[in-house]
Amino acid sequence: MNGNDRAPSGLHWLGSFAVLCALVALWWVASNAGWVSRVFLPTPQATFASLLEGLNLSGDSGNGELLAFTQATVGRMVEGWLLASLFGVVLGAAIGVSPAVRAWVQPTLEFIRPLPASALLPLAISIFGLNPGMVLFVVAFGAMWPVLLATVHGFAAVEPRLAEVARCLQMSRAAYIWKMGLPNAMPDILAGMRLALTIALIVAVVGEMIASQSGLGQAILLAARAFRASDLFAGIVLLGLIGFVSNALLAFAEKRLLRWQQP
Amino acid sequence: MQATPFLRFDGVTICLGGREILSPTSFDVARGEFVCIVGPSGCGKTTLLRAASGLVTASAGEVRRNGVTMTEPSREVAFVFQDYGRALLPWRTVEGNVSLALEAAGVPAAERAPRIADVLGKVGLAKHAQKFPVQLSGGMQQRAQIARCLAQKPELMMMDEPFGALDALTRQSLQDELARLVRDDGLTVLFVTHDLEEAIYLGDRVIALQANPGPGRPSLARMIDVKIPRPRDQLTTKEHPEYLQLRRELFAFIEQGHD
Amino acid sequence: MTEGRLFRWLRPWVFPAVLVVAFEWYARRAAALGSDALAPPSAAAKAFVGAALDGSLWQATGFTLGTAALGLLIGAVLGIALGLVLGLSRRAAQLGSVSIEVLRPVPSVALIPLAMLAFGFGVRMELAIVAFATFWPLLVLVQSAVQQIEPRLLEVSRVLGLSARERAFKIVLPAIVPRLFVALRLGVAVALVVAVTVEIAANPNGMGYAMMIAQQSFDPALMLAWLGWIGVVGFAVNAGMVLLQRTVARRMGAMP
Repeated sequence: MNGNDRAPSGLHWLGSFAVLCALVALWWVASNAGWVSRVFLPTPQATFASLLEGLNLSGDSGNGELLAFTQATVGRMVEGWLLASLFGVVLGAAIGVSPAVRAWVQPTLEFIRPLPASALLPLAISIFGLNPGMVLFVVAFGAMWPVLLATVHGFAAVEPRLAEVARCLQMSRAAYIWKMGLPNAMPDILAGMRLALTIALIVAVVGEMIASQSGLGQAILLAARAFRASDLFAGIVLLGLIGFVSNALLAFAEKRLLRWQQP
Repeated sequence: MQATPFLRFDGVTICLGGREILSPTSFDVARGEFVCIVGPSGCGKTTLLRAASGLVTASAGEVRRNGVTMTEPSREVAFVFQDYGRALLPWRTVEGNVSLALEAAGVPAAERAPRIADVLGKVGLAKHAQKFPVQLSGGMQQRAQIARCLAQKPELMMMDEPFGALDALTRQSLQDELARLVRDDGLTVLFVTHDLEEAIYLGDRVIALQANPGPGRPSLARMIDVKIPRPRDQLTTKEHPEYLQLRRELFAFIEQGHD
Repeated sequence: MTEGRLFRWLRPWVFPAVLVVAFEWYARRAAALGSDALAPPSAAAKAFVGAALDGSLWQATGFTLGTAALGLLIGAVLGIALGLVLGLSRRAAQLGSVSIEVLRPVPSVALIPLAMLAFGFGVRMELAIVAFATFWPLLVLVQSAVQQIEPRLLEVSRVLGLSARERAFKIVLPAIVPRLFVALRLGVAVALVVAVTVEIAANPNGMGYAMMIAQQSFDPALMLAWLGWIGVVGFAVNAGMVLLQRTVARRMGAMP
């Protein structure tokens, strides 16, 4: 940017953490001093205590519910995401590889793209009823679209020079798809999978909320209804953590798989 | 010249998008010859090369290799593209890229490693086998592409301005490397370039094409034999009287074409 | 030649038409067998017209679009402002980086119960969540757009001795306008999706809620009508934004 682009040094990290601590301190003052009612803003201590209890880390008084809820939500999210990625890549490759199929099908795909995944929940409830399978279905179906669309785009946009090289080497169609189409589509597919993960988490949470399925989504909804603000915040913290960790893991995997992009 | 020439262009005409890019062109290439094709931009030299390798079909006339008409690309005809960066798989290492040619030819995995090592040694990339294209300089990337083409064990090598995007020093060293490789393996080469000096330096024969020859006139304007002895080198060859004479001839001819 | 053009105009509709016809056939069979989970598209179309005529369609659509727009306005103004600051000042960006990385991954839907608690049901609750959801992408994209301004232009502003305000309005803002509109396009998409999601999850207003109510009162025709309408509205809004973004980009010389 403005000249020096050195990696941030330890001092910079420290300063950044200090800002975060300042925000937490602000939170502490705001809730403890009653600037914001403790009904909506529990104190950091209370939140922390709820976390420990819920995760069964505080010795005797904990009921470990939060741990079970977290597992349920994460399980839904990951299962749905894996299914979505698998189907998204396979279908996307089938569509993306053939310009003819793309021409007929792409406009419909573009229409579905802006549709909120959660909007399918009422339809799914209608068909499947209120059960965990229904939520999983919507998670997988909703998260599939970014992967599918990204895969189609990745396969459609192979460098024409490489396509000519394939012709010169007389590569079979299968070899072309596997050795050129798929690796070429990898950056797009991985980006699509990252988006799919955020959608999977969102739909899992919303699904739990409206279908009364056990998980963090339902937990925080019940906590809010019962005015248990610290439990509510504990749940929010955990959801934020899930979002952070899953994204970080995927970003790491992306970097390893796309090593060939770094000079 | 033997009865059936190795490569024959017979009245090859190419029209693209309604325009005649190449007027009927005919010439023969013998086995082991290094033929350079020069001409101003728009004369159809790249198109000629692509037709010869089967990437483009001639609108009229045909290209025959060993008496057989060529309509589709074949593994025995290697093609070196000018934009080397886009012709290498960015997600494979140099070794992986060379391996692609062997995989496509169905060479069993056990045999591939020694052949890759051999070909990388020939182009001087043995130490960079595990690097990705993005980590290589332009000259090295072009060498990697040449290595892949050599791995095909081709009869015929087409080269489309392969050194055009490189700096002068790299170009010179690659020219010499190419000359050595071609001589060692006995390859037949069709080499398109806009650089007249390069064409004379490398070729056994130089074919000059002209752009927009006019109705009924051929694109092929001149064919000059280069009788300078081999091996050639950058310093002495360029002071050789034959070289200077040909250079003058070609330059005058090209200038004439511009009027 | 007009045959070719007609074909290209009709082709995008063939595949969906086939799907709709297949769905119509299947839903009628299912209804004949006593299932009330699905309705044929023809019934959904009727329900749609009914909702349009009695005003419920427009009221709910207006609520969703209006709330989404307002929420986007708040989120965008804050996101752009902070994005400008963090983009221009390297130190500020570094200081804020950890806090942003900690707060950004919180899914906006996780805040629905909190907003419910703080604001009850209605416009404010949905506004707050849409604002939160749109704040982050705008912050990140504007920050990155500012950081990628041609450094030469910033040097020119220093050499010419422009004040901070002049620099912001004459160099920085015009330079980021194309990317800003890309960010806004994304923001609009996010705002709409989040608004509908909040209505499905909790808020008893708007298109999402209307669809939920239809499902809960065993009116599959109306539910499907709403689903289709939500899709159409989303598509239209996004298409409009693409058009706007491209027009701006062409005007500002960023794209041919």
